[in-house]
Amino acid sequence: VQPPENPLQADEWNKLRESFRSPEIFEEVMFNNMVRCNSPVDVAKSLLTHVAKRNGDIAYNLLLKYLALCVQQGQTSEICDVYDIMKIRFRILESGAYNLLIRGLSNSNQWRRALTILEEVKKITVPSRTNYESCIKAAGHHQEMNLAFELYHEMLAKDLVPSLDVLQAFFDFSRGMTGAELQKELFGILLYLRENQIYPHETFMRSIKLWFESIPGGNWRGHLTSIKDSGQCPVCNHQLEDSDLTEEEYNNLRERIIRDVIHGTDTFRKTSPQEFQAFQTFVENRLPFDIVIDGLNVSHIKPRKMQCENLFDAVNSLAKENVRLLVLGRKHMLINSSNWRREIMKEMQNKADFFFAENISEDDAFLLYATLRSGKHCKFVTRDFLRDHKACLSDSLTRQLFRKWQRGHQIVFSPSPAFCYDSVVQTTGDTWHMPYKDTYGEKYSYRVPRKWLCLQQKL
Amino acid sequence: MQSANMLLKRIVRSSVLPFAAQHGMKKDLFPLSRTLSLSLCLKQDNSCSPSEKLDLDAWKKVMKSGLQEASETVSEREELSSAAAARELLEMWRLAGRSVPENISDEQLKTLMECPSKSAKKKYLKYLYIRELYKKNDKRKMDEKRRRRLEEQEEASKTSEDRRNSFMCVWANSVDKAYSWRVAQSMIFGQPLVFDMSYENEMSSREVANTVQQLVFSEGCNRRCADPFHIHFCNFKEDSLYHKEFIKHYREAWGKLLITVTDQCYTEIFPKDKLIYLTADSPRVMKTFDHNKIYIIGSMVDRSIKTGVSLARAKRLGLETAALPLEKYLLWNSGAKNLTLDQMMHILLTLKDTGDWKKALEFVPKRKYCGFISRPVHELKKALNLINTLKLKKRQEEVRKQFAKSYSKKLMQK
Repeated sequence: VQPPENPLQADEWNKLRESFRSPEIFEEVMFNNMVRCNSPVDVAKSLLTHVAKRNGDIAYNLLLKYLALCVQQGQTSEICDVYDIMKIRFRILESGAYNLLIRGLSNSNQWRRALTILEEVKKITVPSRTNYESCIKAAGHHQEMNLAFELYHEMLAKDLVPSLDVLQAFFDFSRGMTGAELQKELFGILLYLRENQIYPHETFMRSIKLWFESIPGGNWRGHLTSIKDSGQCPVCNHQLEDSDLTEEEYNNLRERIIRDVIHGTDTFRKTSPQEFQAFQTFVENRLPFDIVIDGLNVSHIKPRKMQCENLFDAVNSLAKENVRLLVLGRKHMLINSSNWRREIMKEMQNKADFFFAENISEDDAFLLYATLRSGKHCKFVTRDFLRDHKACLSDSLTRQLFRKWQRGHQIVFSPSPAFCYDSVVQTTGDTWHMPYKDTYGEKYSYRVPRKWLCLQQKL
Repeated sequence: MQSANMLLKRIVRSSVLPFAAQHGMKKDLFPLSRTLSLSLCLKQDNSCSPSEKLDLDAWKKVMKSGLQEASETVSEREELSSAAAARELLEMWRLAGRSVPENISDEQLKTLMECPSKSAKKKYLKYLYIRELYKKNDKRKMDEKRRRRLEEQEEASKTSEDRRNSFMCVWANSVDKAYSWRVAQSMIFGQPLVFDMSYENEMSSREVANTVQQLVFSEGCNRRCADPFHIHFCNFKEDSLYHKEFIKHYREAWGKLLITVTDQCYTEIFPKDKLIYLTADSPRVMKTFDHNKIYIIGSMVDRSIKTGVSLARAKRLGLETAALPLEKYLLWNSGAKNLTLDQMMHILLTLKDTGDWKKALEFVPKRKYCGFISRPVHELKKALNLINTLKLKKRQEEVRKQFAKSYSKKLMQK
């Protein structure tokens, strides 16, 4: 039903209601449509008046929908009135109403009331991310940066993940403001991006750049650039961090891979104890390797070619002097077939070490183990994103370590070699380097951005 | 007395009305509430002349009219216990039109509050809500049926009073006896079928409940079959979650079931070389049903797709494994290849009786496959590949050439 354009009298509403096919839900449907068409509040008010006079009461869900309409149109005084009425009628409200109230009030000059409502929400449940963000934006908008940061920290303490939007807002609101405390907080946000390996999008990056350049007396200059393959910034000639893990991190990651990925809840799910034992002794006797290859994965690179030829090409291109290769495969590769020629397999086995797992075992887990066991210099070749193995790791910290290590050590054959620098927000105090993605939401999670923002302080 | 009044008022105001409005029934409740809370306002409004300009904020006055009483309730408000607060929040959600159950038991409330996240809570509430709906519908249908039966009986008693309907009863009873006789026979001479009950730790309590439900179905269809299996529940721990759920389903009948329940492993009861573990992850595909083997089914409902759990069991014990030849006979559409326990039971029973794969695989849910494969698989796959590549418009020319080539070759052979 199309909502009317002007307020109606009671009998007019009655007529409309009776012409509707199920009069019991008439008001609900009408209000939904009003919200959708963004009808004038006066029309909604006239319907509410009609309902109030007929039933002597207005159901909670109708009030809620009216509230949504008011919030949509920024009718602050109406929002406050509805809130008062709801408070009188009901002991507590539920999260839907609170969300609307906070959203509506934080955009108005009554924004402090939004904060008190946030306190109310805390009494019944954990406020949502958007609740916090609305309040933070309201506080930031009115230059109350301390309050905004207080809310931000409270939100992080509750394990809510802030959206990039609100992080960007911090930089926008703080532009041109002074204060060591404020600077520290904003650097904190940049370090948050670093720790969680988040890349800002382009508009966010611009906000960061503008904020840096607006610091009074800071003398920061920002440039957009792309980093050379050697890991050097062409603007300031600074060498970026490499993606090597520390000794402790590295050992930790190795332990966790063995425990969570290979053994998991049941060693038999991915391999068997005998097989893993055999593999371990095999690896220990031949350490260290320089490159570990996932044979089956590599053999599928070019679908037109015979599988063993693909592998043969890969092994040939990687085999150089003094490079020790390990190829992991499954037993079925040893059986002479149209895809796996025995002669070629023989020839390859002269150039690299081979380990063949059972046909029903997971070779990826072996790949990770052999690479990690060989040491930091060792790289591995596969096109697999290894997401399922990453998911086996139980805590997010180890998962991040895994990702960092993966970025620096995985060779994905056709497009790119492993990076020799780490794509992550980084600082030396007087320089900052931040990778950023082109547009909002583009970028696949596995693809690291190639564009960078270089910031340096001229003293 | 006063508080009782208050309660009545609140109930009338906040819960009954929207409920009635939402469900569009019990219209007879409206006049009650109208007279209760608003007669005063109505009279005032009626006294105004109807031609007067519309007062858009009149509803606020109406809503605030209960202010005095309401402020009392506010002062009355105490610190609520968390459970009561949760209950009240639920009530508000229900008023807002969310999918939450109308009644919730203390036990369910406790489970709800133990949910780790908001979305877990939401899911659990929705589950309760839907269950409540089903229950209500069932009850309505039962009532209708009973009423109809009573009416029929009345009519029947009018027409022929001396007729007894104990005949039906006797018949059902004797059929039951015949079934039991057959199952008892199978317990002596029948082929064993093992359910491995060692998966309790892999499942949530709801999954265990589902598992037991499926096992109850399986047992039922086995009992009604012409040539039943001798069912074994192996690795069955006394006082396990499985056990509790079984008692919930069977009550006293649990002790009288004609199945073998043991805490022993199947490898202790049967020779290892006769056992075959059925698992969808098995690399080996079952060709025919072997009447001399003992098939094992893992009693596990796996909503989170934990691959390789049952295969790992079989590997550890060094047992032979097999998977149903779903790919070979069905053009698979979507969904996981693991079937429910009662579907497995149906399939195995049919295979045992007839050995006909097509007939047996009728029990795979229809949504999971497009149809039966009549032609050899590789030909169909070729056609499917062709369709896919044409759809993607990738290497179109190449594929067409190859197809033409192989086609002409085939013609030449003929």
